[in-house]
Amino acid sequence: MSINSATSDDDTPDDGDESGGGPDEVEARVGLRYTLKQVKQDTTARIGTYIVGFMTFVAVFAAFDYYVLDYAIAEAVLYNPETDPQNVRRLLPPVGMENQFGQGVLEHPLGTDHRGRDLLSRTIYGTRIAMTVGFLATAIGLGGGTVIGAVSGYYGGWIDDVLQRVTETIYAIPFLVLVIAFMTAFGRDLTFAMIGVGITAIPVFNRLIRSRVVSIREEDYVEAARAAGVKDRNIIFRHIIPNSFAPVLVQATLQVGVSILIVAGLSFLGFGAQPPTPSWGQMLSASRGYMLPAPTFSIFPGIAILITVIGFNILGDGLQDALDPRINN
Amino acid sequence: MSLLRYTLRRFAQAIPVLIGIVTITFFLANQIPGDPVEIMLGPTPAQEQVEAIRAQYGLDRPIHVRYFTYLSGVATGDLGLSIYYDRPVLEMILLRLPVTLLLMLSAFAFAVVTAIPLGVISAKRRNEPADHVSRIVSLIGVSTPSFWIGLVLIIVFAFYLGWFPARGLVLPWADPADVRGAATRVEVLRQAVHHLFLPMIALGTLQMAQITRIERSSMVDSLQGEYVKLARAYGVPESTIVRKHAFQVAQLPVITIIGLGLSTALGGAVLTETVFEIQGMGRLIITAINNQDYQLIMGTTLVFGFVYVIGVIVTDITYSYLDPRVTYGED
Repeated sequence: MSINSATSDDDTPDDGDESGGGPDEVEARVGLRYTLKQVKQDTTARIGTYIVGFMTFVAVFAAFDYYVLDYAIAEAVLYNPETDPQNVRRLLPPVGMENQFGQGVLEHPLGTDHRGRDLLSRTIYGTRIAMTVGFLATAIGLGGGTVIGAVSGYYGGWIDDVLQRVTETIYAIPFLVLVIAFMTAFGRDLTFAMIGVGITAIPVFNRLIRSRVVSIREEDYVEAARAAGVKDRNIIFRHIIPNSFAPVLVQATLQVGVSILIVAGLSFLGFGAQPPTPSWGQMLSASRGYMLPAPTFSIFPGIAILITVIGFNILGDGLQDALDPRINN
Repeated sequence: MSLLRYTLRRFAQAIPVLIGIVTITFFLANQIPGDPVEIMLGPTPAQEQVEAIRAQYGLDRPIHVRYFTYLSGVATGDLGLSIYYDRPVLEMILLRLPVTLLLMLSAFAFAVVTAIPLGVISAKRRNEPADHVSRIVSLIGVSTPSFWIGLVLIIVFAFYLGWFPARGLVLPWADPADVRGAATRVEVLRQAVHHLFLPMIALGTLQMAQITRIERSSMVDSLQGEYVKLARAYGVPESTIVRKHAFQVAQLPVITIIGLGLSTALGGAVLTETVFEIQGMGRLIITAINNQDYQLIMGTTLVFGFVYVIGVIVTDITYSYLDPRVTYGED
């Protein structure tokens, strides 16, 4: 099945800057330092960085409070996002609004859920699950896809055929359905959600890395390294993979957003983080039963997902523009 | 003739992938914890009863025998029996598949009809306000979970404004006698459209956003092409250039993205059907899982895979039909 990758520019010319203007510009157009410099100059990439940075900060804070302090900060400043409160005020609207359960109060700025838990607190602490899963699932996809793509592209022949047929088949099952089947078989909790979503991302990175490897394999410096007796493994990991940095970084950034969306969908269906752990998808799932009397319950977790995923998408788009050597600023 | 041959070859190439899907599905389903027979008969069934059921469903045979039995069953259209519904799996799927296909097709129709004008306007007025609006809309579209769009649509348009029903679907080809409040065919059609509207938007928004993005960048490229410069030099009016010269070439990447979007949309259908309580393939797989009906889990999963593969082949064929450069692999 030959489907072109949606976002990658496989045949990006890397050597287009030889005649390109400017006095003695010998700066390397790869690597982390170059990336950071480009991102700083690109407005959209910068906004994306701010959103992603903020969400990461919230997630790290929430994780710290959960694992180390057992929600001490949450209880001191807001409310414990997991335990049901003692004098329950269920399904309160956000402050300044009114519904059949009462008037919004300042202590619960976004209102309360069906068990009287504070929605602001649960939305904030839901960031932990979303970001953890987003990053780890992408890491699994990236790791698996890089190894398979690199081996497949470098060796070619029957190894390539076998590996590509297998990843194609994985890709041929709609990924939400595949993850659901995978989780039914192995387990319904968050770990398997992460692994499942990671596996569905493998074909994306595999295709990207493989196409890079196939084009780089014949480059002079790889030939030179091979002639000098450098081991295959070292050629792949020291030369070929670092040279694929830019498109992979772009794809990985976008993939974090996609993973967050898929995991939210899984939680919505009851696969993933189990109650009472606060997660956005599961909050939305719970809110379904109260859409008529307390419509605002359904709003905020969705907005949290939206903002987070927008952050990764504009960062990814910005990186693509910033790192594309064909675009000269 | 060559198009027909290309079509046949494309389907032949898909056979290994289809076998792969059956294999993955079969081995995943066999990992499912719990004994399906126990689920059927309760916790303390009589021994001979258990054995009878095992023999009936072929569960007493070794796994590789069952695999090949299943594979040959799939080839002849026999997907086994659903334990939960006590009916053939294929029968259940044929009952539900049209619902999901209707939802998917309408979602893509909505996506294409809205995205192509948005993308073209965006490309034509690059960096003008119209372009910014269209880019923000498509950015939000690719970043919003489809099931949340569904929830918001239900709250606003079903509960608050009362314009559309919040749940269920009416099939346009349903018998008027089976549809509540519909005496005539026209009434059935009206209800079908009415019910389909919100789920269609919920499922189609992501596709709309993705197609808009591709349409825009593809049109931007196309408008800079040599043939466009030539047409301009000849004094062809700009509107004709956009409509005729640039537009046609720009549609090829759009077809590719529609093919890729099928996978997301099929997954999205599971969510959309849950939100709107539509009895399609998505609900069927969830029901199968919740009842550990493993034959039905296998059947639904692989039909999802088959639908996707066939969808990709159809888009490939459309692509080659529209692209004059593709020569169906001959010479």
